[in-house]
Amino acid sequence: MTDLQWARISQDLFNVAIFSYLAAMVGYFAYLAFQRDLLWKLARAAAGLGLAANLVSILTRGLAAHRVPWGNMYEYSALLACLVVGGYLIVVEGIYKVRSLGGFVMAFAILTMAIASQFFYVTPGPLVPALNSYWIKIHVQAAIWGSSLFALGGIVTILYLIQDRRERKQVDALRSQEPPPIMGASLNLDAPHDLVDDAGAPMSAATTGRKRLPSAATLDTLAYRLIAFAFPIWTFAVIAGAIWAQEAWSRYWGWDPKETWSFITWVIFAGYLHARATAGWRGRKSAWIALVGFVSLLITYYAVNLWIVGLHSYKGF
Amino acid sequence: MPPSAAGFSLTQSVALVWRTLRSMRTALILLLLLALAAVTGSLIPQWPNSPERVLQYQAGHGLWGAFLQRAGAFDVFGSWWFVLITVLLFVSLVACLVPRTRATWRAVRQRPIQAREIDAFRHYRTIAVAAGPPEAVEASRRVLVRHLYRVARAEGTGDPTALAAEKGAAREVGSLLFHWAFILLLFGVIFGKGTGFSGYAVVTEGHTWVDARANYDGQIRTGRFFGGDFTGVGIHLRSFESDFRDTGQPMDFVSHVDLLDPQGNLIRSQDIRVNHPAKIDGLNIYQTAFGWAGVLEVRDGDQVLTRQDLVLSREPAPTGVPAFAMPWHGVLKVTSVRPQMAIEVELYPDSRALAQQLQTQQPVPMLVAYDPVISYKVWRGRLTDPSPTSLDTTFMKKTAEGVVGGGLTADLRTGKQLDPGRAAGGLTMSFPDLRHYSVLQVTRDRGVPIVLAAAILILLGLLPALYTSRRKVWVRAEAHGEGSVLQVGGFALQRKPQFEAEFDKLVEAIERAIDDGGSTTRVSDGSDREKVGSR
Repeated sequence: MTDLQWARISQDLFNVAIFSYLAAMVGYFAYLAFQRDLLWKLARAAAGLGLAANLVSILTRGLAAHRVPWGNMYEYSALLACLVVGGYLIVVEGIYKVRSLGGFVMAFAILTMAIASQFFYVTPGPLVPALNSYWIKIHVQAAIWGSSLFALGGIVTILYLIQDRRERKQVDALRSQEPPPIMGASLNLDAPHDLVDDAGAPMSAATTGRKRLPSAATLDTLAYRLIAFAFPIWTFAVIAGAIWAQEAWSRYWGWDPKETWSFITWVIFAGYLHARATAGWRGRKSAWIALVGFVSLLITYYAVNLWIVGLHSYKGF
Repeated sequence: MPPSAAGFSLTQSVALVWRTLRSMRTALILLLLLALAAVTGSLIPQWPNSPERVLQYQAGHGLWGAFLQRAGAFDVFGSWWFVLITVLLFVSLVACLVPRTRATWRAVRQRPIQAREIDAFRHYRTIAVAAGPPEAVEASRRVLVRHLYRVARAEGTGDPTALAAEKGAAREVGSLLFHWAFILLLFGVIFGKGTGFSGYAVVTEGHTWVDARANYDGQIRTGRFFGGDFTGVGIHLRSFESDFRDTGQPMDFVSHVDLLDPQGNLIRSQDIRVNHPAKIDGLNIYQTAFGWAGVLEVRDGDQVLTRQDLVLSREPAPTGVPAFAMPWHGVLKVTSVRPQMAIEVELYPDSRALAQQLQTQQPVPMLVAYDPVISYKVWRGRLTDPSPTSLDTTFMKKTAEGVVGGGLTADLRTGKQLDPGRAAGGLTMSFPDLRHYSVLQVTRDRGVPIVLAAAILILLGLLPALYTSRRKVWVRAEAHGEGSVLQVGGFALQRKPQFEAEFDKLVEAIERAIDDGGSTTRVSDGSDREKVGSR
């Protein structure tokens, strides 16, 4: 097949992926609303189909361009969406058995891909000399994996904050109804989730009938796991970028906007990890830090390429 | 307890500052401040990255621009407040690390501590075994060691019926390694940048450039502790090649160079291209840019007034025009004649592209040399601008202008191009050849290996710090009839939910191990599981 045909197939599959994710999103949200297992199965199938289309689209793009398929923002976005959805299906649904976050994840993937095809599309072609290095495989891969896991962590953190607020309201309502136990309180309503022995137990009592989202404690742990998983990968991505910069731009660090923002993102998530280990910052406070980190990640990804002039802003990274 | 103002001695205030710096809260706030400072640095144009954008910004922002200038906001990463935050952060880091390292050192060397009441732990089981207490505890020890626990028998008393076990010291050790590595990183950065330098070498094909201060093009950036120890290494540019796609997108630039030692002997030949710097004698040499140098010879009759490979620079392209569609500029100064003479030249390296450009009135990139053409203006008078690249014509008069093609000669008095082969008399300029020049960035940073080592240590420390978890287990056996009753207690500091299953498996393994030596009967079957959940 010719390069043009490969490019064509890649583009078509890109669209198939977006529409499958769209269907999956509708399905997941319907599952949240009606709690029917069938809806979840359909949504999952759509997401799986989208993921396959997404993956093949990336591969054919690579065939069309005769190089690794992450040489510019368009390709990077497709890969990011693919890894976020894949990571969600494997880690969140597969390992943690949390089914109710799918809609939000799909929304993120759709947005990423839609923005990419709208604003970043370029016909496949070879790379400019500065990008033509084996470090593109290492540095960009690590950056995509790190960002996709951070993005998942960010989505879960948003849901944690929503669920936490809801649970607190319910606990307040519960407290105003019942006189507080005098001795040997069996229900410690004031303790933060991670200090309560069985975090799920008292909360699930408070949330009976509204189990659409996992408990705040579950979401909190999940967000932490995702971010703790992403952090070393991001660290590695920054280091690999520095090594590459030393080869390509004669210095390992020069406060180029992309470097600066990946550093800012790193610092914020480092702050998050420290906050979780610090009394008084656990729970909501550290969640807000993670959220700021998520925003910083989006700035690192989009704003730096689109609005801030620097070495990374040749229509690539 | 806040001391009263009167009793607030120097030692007390130092102690207070120290205590504040030691707290994680302070470190956290400093870390977020550092991020905030970096944000400003990315939103406001920075002098070291793009001076022209700083000037533009200042011109457009009047008073605000002046304020930012005073605040050092145009060089955030070199400003006193950025340095202050960094220094405070590192002081705070050391203040946190020293006591933590000492404690960890002690803890790692110390034997695990015995517990008085094992049944008070979150995870607790009792099993009845046929073996006697010492044998049962010995079997437990072997199981725990197999599970990578550090095990200690009851100290002092020599009690063979109790033990304490611990694992997961790697978490704290890793965390310490991660944090200490930043000190190493800082040292590497300061050492490397402090003793290093960076500058540009412009080398024309066929020429040799020698690493010495005077030979650098423009300013060189030197570190604070730079000793002026240039190497004397030579770079001889044999040839330069550039490669473009049809669209004008650059594909590859290569400088084919010979690297020479200070005596001029060949060390080795090498290609320098983007992403593939040359490394020699502590210097890194990078392909940065390239351009054209016109070989020009000015004669007065038989006398050669000057012959040089004139390095030409490209005019900046207006927006929307490809950079390579612009002509190349330079000025040739002849001071030995009266009145002095300056020849302004403008090079069009590709006359086909130029013709196309004139025909279509559209900018066409001139990527290769093909029948190059130079258009020139001759000025006579007094040269007042000492710079080799710029010209001040205040005291000069234009006497002629014209064009000269590659390999041809022009009469500078009339501005007419002479027919090839015709003997030239009077004042002439010939353009025998067009060569490439290559712009190479030459840097030295001896801190790079240290920084790299620090980065590797950071990663190595990070993994156990995030992914291992500490566990403690205690075992005690009491004689019970023929056999004994074994109490097993456990406690996890991280990943508590996972320890539930881990602990169960551990107890089963201990049970099995003792089983191998005799039969076992469970004393408190069922009730132990409830106990686990209720604590």
